Amino acid sequence: MPLPQAIETQDDQRRATMSPWSGQQMQRTPFLLLLLVALAQGVTPSPKACVTLPSPGGSTVSCFSPARFPAPLPADTVHLAVEFSTLTQLPASALRGATGLRELHLASNRLRELPATLLLPVPRLEVLDLTHNSLTQLPPGLFRASAALRVLVLKANRLEALQASWLLGLKGLEHLDLSSNSLQTLPPGLLASLGALRTLDLGDNQLETLPPDLLRGPRRLERLHLEENRLQVLGERLLAQQPALRYLFLGDNRLTTVAAGAFHNLKELDMLDLSNNLLSSVPRGLWESLGMPSRDMGDGFDISGNPWVCDQNLDDLLRWLVANKHRMFSQNDTRCAGPDALRGRMLLEVSGSP
Amino acid sequence: MPAQPPVSKVGSGPPQGSGPKEVESKGPGSVVSLPNKMGDAEAGKKIFTQKCAQCHTVEKGGKHKTGPNLWGLFGRKTGQAPGFLYTDANKNKGVVWGEDTLMEYLENPKKYIPGTKMVFAGLKKKSERKDLIQYLKQATSS
Repeated sequence: MPLPQAIETQDDQRRATMSPWSGQQMQRTPFLLLLLVALAQGVTPSPKACVTLPSPGGSTVSCFSPARFPAPLPADTVHLAVEFSTLTQLPASALRGATGLRELHLASNRLRELPATLLLPVPRLEVLDLTHNSLTQLPPGLFRASAALRVLVLKANRLEALQASWLLGLKGLEHLDLSSNSLQTLPPGLLASLGALRTLDLGDNQLETLPPDLLRGPRRLERLHLEENRLQVLGERLLAQQPALRYLFLGDNRLTTVAAGAFHNLKELDMLDLSNNLLSSVPRGLWESLGMPSRDMGDGFDISGNPWVCDQNLDDLLRWLVANKHRMFSQNDTRCAGPDALRGRMLLEVSGSP
Repeated sequence: MPAQPPVSKVGSGPPQGSGPKEVESKGPGSVVSLPNKMGDAEAGKKIFTQKCAQCHTVEKGGKHKTGPNLWGLFGRKTGQAPGFLYTDANKNKGVVWGEDTLMEYLENPKKYIPGTKMVFAGLKKKSERKDLIQYLKQATSS
């Protein structure tokens, strides 16, 4: 059987490889021959793992479970997602050429380390999501060109310790998520250079104590997540650094002691979670700045799951509960552990306001 | 000086004096607590404030923040909140938001919608997702 007419001449051959999908060629050229020609030219089918789409301001590159980091990146890439891969590291040149990059989503890979110069080509980066990787540390100078970074998420990595120097350069950082790591202590001055920080999430770590100057640095921290740690004592100095704090999460710790002045001057606090700790009592005056009659706590509070001893030492709290019960979560789970006569009774009931 | 009555709007503040036995009619500022099997909307409200409120509002006419306002969520296709700029990934997912799809999505949003710009790892605990979804059901519709 004679060869198809299409591949007879050199010109025809060239045309076949340059536009293999044109209708006429498809009709005249058997698929097998086409594939052979394509392979000879070094063209392989692109991996389905990465999709490039136009989006406002540039291109979006989205890779789900890619075998390798996409390269080269379109020069106008603004949004890049490389997720659910087995990549353990990135080349230092990974982001070169994508100078307009705004968001980098690298969640759920197996990254063990980051090259120190990774972010130098992308000074306009605003969001960096490294959730669920295997980072144990960050290289010095990683963020030296990252004054535009607003959101940094390092949730669910393998960080056991932090160094304040890792965070140098993050002048514009508003949201820092270090939750679900293995942090046992924090260094002094951790947030010193993070003047713009609004939200700090340190939840689900193994923190037993906090440096009293931890919150010095941010001009106006709004949200502080410390839930699911091993804190035993809440001192007076910690929150004094951030009088404009609005949301404070301290649930699921081992708090036995809260200093009388711990919440002093928190005049913007809208939510306080002290649930599931080991509090049997709290000092008088603790609630002075919080809630009614001073200021309604708009998003509520939770003191359930504590072994409250409902004796006269708790009078102040019980009075405060009466004035603020409309903002009280988990009322049914806020009960007395003692004295014996009152064990199991709801605090609200005991306060005279069921 | 007499205490001001609490300011209530839909989606703000925990329920007024509610417990598992009390079922109040829904009104501004109150959330109905249903038996545990269906998820506890009160607990869900707390989860929402803790994990979602930074980026999302729920009330009718609430503003878009990093994420879209969620009013009208149930029964709507993905990526359809008016006026919010979604990724193509979200718009093209093509499912309708309801209890089942939200249960799956909220466990691992990035797995459900690869390429999403939502930075949220998800809620591993089924009970938390149930609670949150119960809350959302009430808070995002009239």
